Amino acid sequence: MLTATLRAMIAHKLRLVLTTASIALGVAFLAGTLVLTDTMGLAFEQLFGKVSAGTDAVVRTHAPYTATDGVSTSRAPIPAAVLTDIDQVDGVRHAEGSVTGYALLTDNDGSAVLTNGGAPTMGYNMPADEDLRGDVDLLSGTAPDAPNEVAIDATSAEDHDIAIGSTIKVLFQGPTREFTVVGTVGFGGEKNLGGTTSAYFDTKTAQKVLGTPGYFDTIGVSAVDGVSQAELAKRLSAVVPQGDEAVTGETVAQENSDAVQKDLKIVGILFMIFAGIALFVGSFIIWNTFTMIVTQRSREIALLRAIGGTRRQVLRSLMIEAVMLGVAASAIGVVLGMGVAKALTTLMDLVGFTLPSTSLQLEPRTIWVSLLVGTLVTVVAALVPARRATKVLPVEALRESTPGAEKPSKRRAVIGLAIIGAGAAGILAALYGGADMRIFGVGLLALIVGVMVALPLAVRPLAALIATPLKLRGLPGELAKQNALRNPRRTSSTAAALMIGLTLVVSMGVFASSLKASFGDVISDQTNADLFLSSSSAQGPGFSPSVIAAAKGVDGVDKVSAGGWGQAHFNGGNTSYSAVDPATAEEVMNLEVSQGSVADLGKDGVMVSRSTATAEGWKLGSVVPAEFAVSGKHRLHVVAIYDGKGWISDNYVISLAEQNAFAGPQLVASGLVTLVAGADKAAVQQAISAALADHPDAKVLDQKGFEKEASGFIGQLLTFVTVMLLLAVLIALLGIVNTLALSVFERTRELGLLRAVGMTRAQVRAMVRWESVVISLIGALSGAALGIGIGLALSQALKDEGIKAIAIPAPQIALYVALAAVAGILAAVGPARSAAKVDVLRAVVTD
Amino acid sequence: MSVITNTPQISTASAARAEGLSKFYGTGDAAIPALDNVTVALAEGQFTAIMGPSGSGKSTLLHMLAGLDRPSSGEVYLGDTEITSLGDKALTLLRRDRIGFIFQSFNLLPTMTAAENIVLPIRIAGRKPDDHWVASIVETVGLTGRLSHRPSELSGGQQQRVAAARALASKPQIVFADEPTGALDSKSGAELLGFLRKAVTELGQTVVMVTHDPTAASYADRVIFLADGHVVDEMHAASADEVLDYMKHLGA
Repeated sequence: MLTATLRAMIAHKLRLVLTTASIALGVAFLAGTLVLTDTMGLAFEQLFGKVSAGTDAVVRTHAPYTATDGVSTSRAPIPAAVLTDIDQVDGVRHAEGSVTGYALLTDNDGSAVLTNGGAPTMGYNMPADEDLRGDVDLLSGTAPDAPNEVAIDATSAEDHDIAIGSTIKVLFQGPTREFTVVGTVGFGGEKNLGGTTSAYFDTKTAQKVLGTPGYFDTIGVSAVDGVSQAELAKRLSAVVPQGDEAVTGETVAQENSDAVQKDLKIVGILFMIFAGIALFVGSFIIWNTFTMIVTQRSREIALLRAIGGTRRQVLRSLMIEAVMLGVAASAIGVVLGMGVAKALTTLMDLVGFTLPSTSLQLEPRTIWVSLLVGTLVTVVAALVPARRATKVLPVEALRESTPGAEKPSKRRAVIGLAIIGAGAAGILAALYGGADMRIFGVGLLALIVGVMVALPLAVRPLAALIATPLKLRGLPGELAKQNALRNPRRTSSTAAALMIGLTLVVSMGVFASSLKASFGDVISDQTNADLFLSSSSAQGPGFSPSVIAAAKGVDGVDKVSAGGWGQAHFNGGNTSYSAVDPATAEEVMNLEVSQGSVADLGKDGVMVSRSTATAEGWKLGSVVPAEFAVSGKHRLHVVAIYDGKGWISDNYVISLAEQNAFAGPQLVASGLVTLVAGADKAAVQQAISAALADHPDAKVLDQKGFEKEASGFIGQLLTFVTVMLLLAVLIALLGIVNTLALSVFERTRELGLLRAVGMTRAQVRAMVRWESVVISLIGALSGAALGIGIGLALSQALKDEGIKAIAIPAPQIALYVALAAVAGILAAVGPARSAAKVDVLRAVVTD
Repeated sequence: MSVITNTPQISTASAARAEGLSKFYGTGDAAIPALDNVTVALAEGQFTAIMGPSGSGKSTLLHMLAGLDRPSSGEVYLGDTEITSLGDKALTLLRRDRIGFIFQSFNLLPTMTAAENIVLPIRIAGRKPDDHWVASIVETVGLTGRLSHRPSELSGGQQQRVAAARALASKPQIVFADEPTGALDSKSGAELLGFLRKAVTELGQTVVMVTHDPTAASYADRVIFLADGHVVDEMHAASADEVLDYMKHLGA
């Protein structure tokens, strides 16, 4: 009996390791996310602190709302004349205007110096006063001091071999100009500012190329010794003109930092979702483990109960075990989390999002949140099996019986199918019955929950389906199927973990390919363009309007229609809007304008989508209130209503002229090119390309190329999401290993018998392997089916937003399912080996 | 190899034999002999019972003969095949194709029906069972009508009869039974032993059975007695009382 106990302990040790790993991995992701966001937050805070160090107060125009687009401010410029008033204020040591704007550097060959992930390319004026420069340091050379001089960030200089003294072109919203590089700049020890490129000019030049002569974006003020920032700001407030404001340097640093933090928060939430999924999947393994623990111990528990232990006591002892497991595994997870944070940083570095470096920040909050969440998940997952164990009547458990093999109950079937039905009804009602989109979300959730509840019922038919080809593998294949069916509930909860992972991956895949297909459709159906002008870098902010003019001049080109995009408050809410060229928009796009005309946009017109017009009860001539950060409030009139969402999917469309008037000078986001009849498309494309030689901020693409470029980010996003979800799949595989290891342990005698009557080790291994494949394919197939359904529902739900095509990436899904089968084989390696090693005599000797 | 005839026949050929077979547990000075230099030959077409008190090494001997365990020294022949030098795979195939087994308990796979359990070794080998042969065995053991039941739906006696049918279904050279009636009541035990006897008498099957029950041994043609790892004596066509007396003499 001692050997049996020892063997049980060894088996339990493996189970302990697997269960711990499944929780620890989820917690590690959670902790890593927290560490990463804290680290990034601190790094950016330090960075902005450095940049604004030395600036005690800032005078700027008042903005009706804070800009949402990151660090750059979008406020109306402040007249330079204000500077003279400021200089008079007591306590001002020095005041200087600051100018910021778009500036795209080019390298020695005239190609654009592009950033990764759409990081801004910025231009600034270099303050003459050293204090007002903050931690912007000249790393080499001198500060720009003449109209043709520029200092650039050290990263751009190093990466593109731009030497001091060389002449480069810099592109702006306005005309391109040539500058001599006179210096390189660093930022408090960093060689670039959070992945952006920077160009520094003297103030007069900066006003000319980045802003407006005679105006600044803000005015930075440094105080004499003994005057606090608050005091200085207070004194300045007294003199600044109506509509302007004076705030402390700290406030501005905080605002900038907050803006970045807000973006980081989105990254954090995204990672948090993946961590949540990983923990959820992990909870299935804990559930399984505790079900197994209580099943194995049912006699021990029954004995305890028989001699007078209360249900509470039994439950408590199991819960203590769960808490201990949870705390220990979570603690390991926190330690692993530091590694995860490091790995994520490296990953982001690889895709080009370089973070300012600072040591990894392990806040106390990270530790207790991780411990709490990990432990809570463990305890909750253990609770139901533990409660079930205590419900067993003592006599029942003392009776000799094989553990487990219960059939899924009718009640489960009814409940599961009811939840699935309700979920599906909710989804359909939202899609076709005009019900609220929140019902759609709840419906999706119900669908997933319902499938999980009902999955044990599907185990038998699915296993039969999967095992059909296994029949060719002879008896091991058939036994594998029977073994998988032995305890449908255990099989289904093992498979459910994989199902969740696959559901998410597949639904994302279906959604993304529908998006891609729709994109292709939109480009061909919603535009009449032959060629497309787009920003040089895939996620770039746009290009100078001069590109449009250059393209227009090419032979064979009929029309070039520019388009812009921005964010502002329309009808009281923050929303995105599109800007079009009223003269050509209707010809190059199929806007399906049902009332009015785009050509009437004029100075205060707006075109609204049919859905918005209907919802708001707007007709032609209705007033739409709008507010822009730069220019404040405007009353716009509805001049057209359009149905043809797709190429343009915003509810509000204004003219480019209005955009420039309301939001300041803007880059062009895209250009649609039509050709004159009979022109050779390829030849014209080449000619435009040649004409753009002096415009490295833009390129010309044909429809295929544009489609690829524009949908490229969808592929990137999908890859990223898939990689993140792989973690959940990995945890699910640990669950399969766990279940198989336990099954092998439970079936020692059976395996011995099979070996005795002539099953070879290879056949035993095959049997365990095929069982693993059956389990993993049950998860993969149900996940794929559910994922396709959800992906289609999601695509359908966003039909009005332009997802009109439906595409199921069949080869991709087939690949996922095949990979799941392969993963199942891998998961079975260990358990199969221990099954093959089972001592034949142990089975046949009755002790 | 097995000769199927309707007349009982004493063959001089041995179906299996052990030569100088020893098995020690533990190593060095602490080694405990379970079998000590045992030489025994089991005649073809005979029903042999191996008896002895607990710890006499009778089960160990059976396991060696059946290729389930490896001796510390000595040789085991199954027919003309020397099996102790065989690798795991060859030994497994040998068990599958040439040996039938009946264990004391846990003889059957719980997920399979009686019929499936009977043809299990044949299915493992990937062969098609001989339907006539299987049907005749099923009829002989009296399992007709129970074939679609799973082990949990069968009585202990029925389960052992399924095991016996399985042992014979692949027409093995030799059937090894390890305390086959150990977990049965006397009526079921008698039925099973009667069946084994019939297999030997009517079908010429070679059966080797380990038992500590003199009544069970009385069904055998020959009873071999083991004590302390040695073969100490043997009897032919002994009655239960004779066996019991001898066992008492052995001091069991």
